[in-house]
Amino acid sequence: MGEGIEVVGVSRSFSAVQAVRSVTLTAEPGSITALIGPNGSGKTTLLLMLATLLRPDAGHIRVAGHDPVRQPDEVRARMGWMPDILGSWASLPVRATLEIAGRMYRLPKSAARRRAEELLELVGLTELAAQPTRVLSRGQKQRLSLARALVHDPSVLLLDEPASGLDPAARVDLRVLLQRLAEDGRTVLVSSHVLAELDEMATSAVYLDAGVSVSAERIAASRAGLRPWRVRSLGADPAAADGADSTALADALRAVGVPAERISADHLGLLVGVRDEGDAAALLAALVTRGVAVSSFAPAFGELEQTFLDLHRGNRS
Amino acid sequence: MTTYLSGIGTVLALELRQRIRGVAWYVLLGVFVALVALITVLLWLSIGVSDGLGGFLFSGILFFVLLLGTLVAPALSGNAINGDRDAGTLATTQVTLLTTGQLVLGKFLAAWLTALAFLLVSLPFLLFAVVAGGVGPGTIAVSVLVLAVELGVIAAIGVGLSGILTRPLFSIVVTYLAVAALSIGTLIVFTLAGMATSSEARTTTFDVASVNEDVPLPEGVICSPPSVTTYTVPRFDYYWGVLAANPYVVLADSAAGQFDADDQPTDLFTATAVGVRQAQIAPDLDATFDYCTELREEGSAGGIDSGRFPSSREVFESTVPTWFVGLAIHVVLGAGALVWATARTRTPAARLPRGSRIA
Ligand SMILES: Nc1ncnc2c1ncn2[C@@H]1O[C@H](COP(=O)(O)OP(=O)(O)O)[C@@H](O)[C@H]1O
Ligand SMILES: [Mg+2]
Repeated sequence: MGEGIEVVGVSRSFSAVQAVRSVTLTAEPGSITALIGPNGSGKTTLLLMLATLLRPDAGHIRVAGHDPVRQPDEVRARMGWMPDILGSWASLPVRATLEIAGRMYRLPKSAARRRAEELLELVGLTELAAQPTRVLSRGQKQRLSLARALVHDPSVLLLDEPASGLDPAARVDLRVLLQRLAEDGRTVLVSSHVLAELDEMATSAVYLDAGVSVSAERIAASRAGLRPWRVRSLGADPAAADGADSTALADALRAVGVPAERISADHLGLLVGVRDEGDAAALLAALVTRGVAVSSFAPAFGELEQTFLDLHRGNRS
Repeated sequence: MTTYLSGIGTVLALELRQRIRGVAWYVLLGVFVALVALITVLLWLSIGVSDGLGGFLFSGILFFVLLLGTLVAPALSGNAINGDRDAGTLATTQVTLLTTGQLVLGKFLAAWLTALAFLLVSLPFLLFAVVAGGVGPGTIAVSVLVLAVELGVIAAIGVGLSGILTRPLFSIVVTYLAVAALSIGTLIVFTLAGMATSSEARTTTFDVASVNEDVPLPEGVICSPPSVTTYTVPRFDYYWGVLAANPYVVLADSAAGQFDADDQPTDLFTATAVGVRQAQIAPDLDATFDYCTELREEGSAGGIDSGRFPSSREVFESTVPTWFVGLAIHVVLGAGALVWATARTRTPAARLPRGSRIA
């Protein structure tokens, strides 16, 4: 379903503020690409440039095979954008909002009406279709905004923090929906600083740090360090981290050869520094062999979150 | 072409539904109708059913519609673009296949139609005025058309400023100031400038010293030596062009020209136009009043006003109309504001105004 997104060496400043310094990324059709970075790292600015709204100062952008600056209409016909602020025409009913959005993409009246109905169904707003959008809750507005981005069946989707403010069930719905859209061959680029939800759906990730996309090498390097894994065993009461059972687990860890400085405790239990997954598997096998009743053995942070934290830490040191 | 127009139509429909629809709007229209009705009744009572009623009523209502238009249109149009940006809805329309021109034109048409609603609801009263008589078909056509264009100009200035300035409240205020500059500012500039630039005027008067009844007329009248008085007169005739830019003057001047048998105006348009055009006539800086020779030759000293002061109709007919100049200036102002706003709103945006975000 068309070409994806290609960004090379893009920068953009607002008078004194250099919002995006140098971003290079690709997002492939059929994949969900996460755009990760702390607040103010330039995610929204980058998406505005992809969405044909903002002109880059330098660099090269291709969205669905076209240049957003020189061929904005070609890009607009193929790209759906969901902004991070949830503006809606307050006194317009939900259904009319989607119909008018369709008309703005030059859909004929009847097609716009049909598409609005489909989208209401898709995002679960059918029951609220006749309500003015000002009565919608934040989560409902978010779904309306997503529906509006989909109104012309775009092949590239740019979503700016689509999951912020959604409850867990709605996040699962969003994930399922985005995965379905990607399976159709669409290119999906999702920005967020809430990383847990991206972890489950993103097929690749781009990290932004102070307006710079982090290179693959730096990501690999950040992964070379120790990663904390959380270990719990039966009888180890997390509320009593320094109690007898917890001490027993720590003893067992030391007994299978983990250096004491790699073991730490927090309010949920013990954390063990592990080099990689092979290391983790070996440790688990050793613990089980020793007869420790391991009930939980998992990375303390999600993959994206861990990389994000490592990069951030590496930055400061 | 049709896709271009249908895009404008989409924006227009959206604007009318989103910005304007609402109870408050209908209340405002209702209050307006009540006021027009009141004016109609008051004029009817004061003038009575005479020849003058139709003309004064018709012109009075149209002046009132212009007044209301200048009061309401800026509030409705002055935040059309930057208000949407603040509400976060502008960018979602800018990423669609709508062009910036369609967006701006659609918003302008919506603001214009809204102002025209005032004209529409005053239609029954205008009809009543026409039935009452004395309103020529030319006056009806020209004045209604010019009023409609003037309302469009105000809408265009409002929408234009909302695209040029960043903050909605500020652009609404500036729109009011722009309209006030044209409506009241021109009047103030005209008055102050005219007063500041005064000329020395001289009047020479020959009075009758004595009359010897026994001697036949020419020789029997003895003239006194000329008495000369000097004084200063304001020179409004240098500045009458300023008033051409006044929307009320444009409306009045375009439809003026209705006089009764005594050469007096029969509607407010003509009365206003005569008053304004009077300023085109330069004051006589060296006037001579020779009452003595008059008496010698005619046997009586005719009053000061005998044929010396022109009638309203003579003033009107001896001066030039200015309304099309004023109207052209207004149309250029409105169109310029819209073009500027379009350029400022175009995406992908290169420079953003300080402290504003696209979305
Ligand atoms: N229109 C603007 N004018 C001035 N500064 C801006 C503008 N838009 C963004 N910035 C600045 O650029 C930086 C990046 O902002 P943004 O792209 O919104 O980050 P993110 O979406 O990652 O939180 C921030 O420091 C922000 O203050
Ligand atoms: Mg952002």
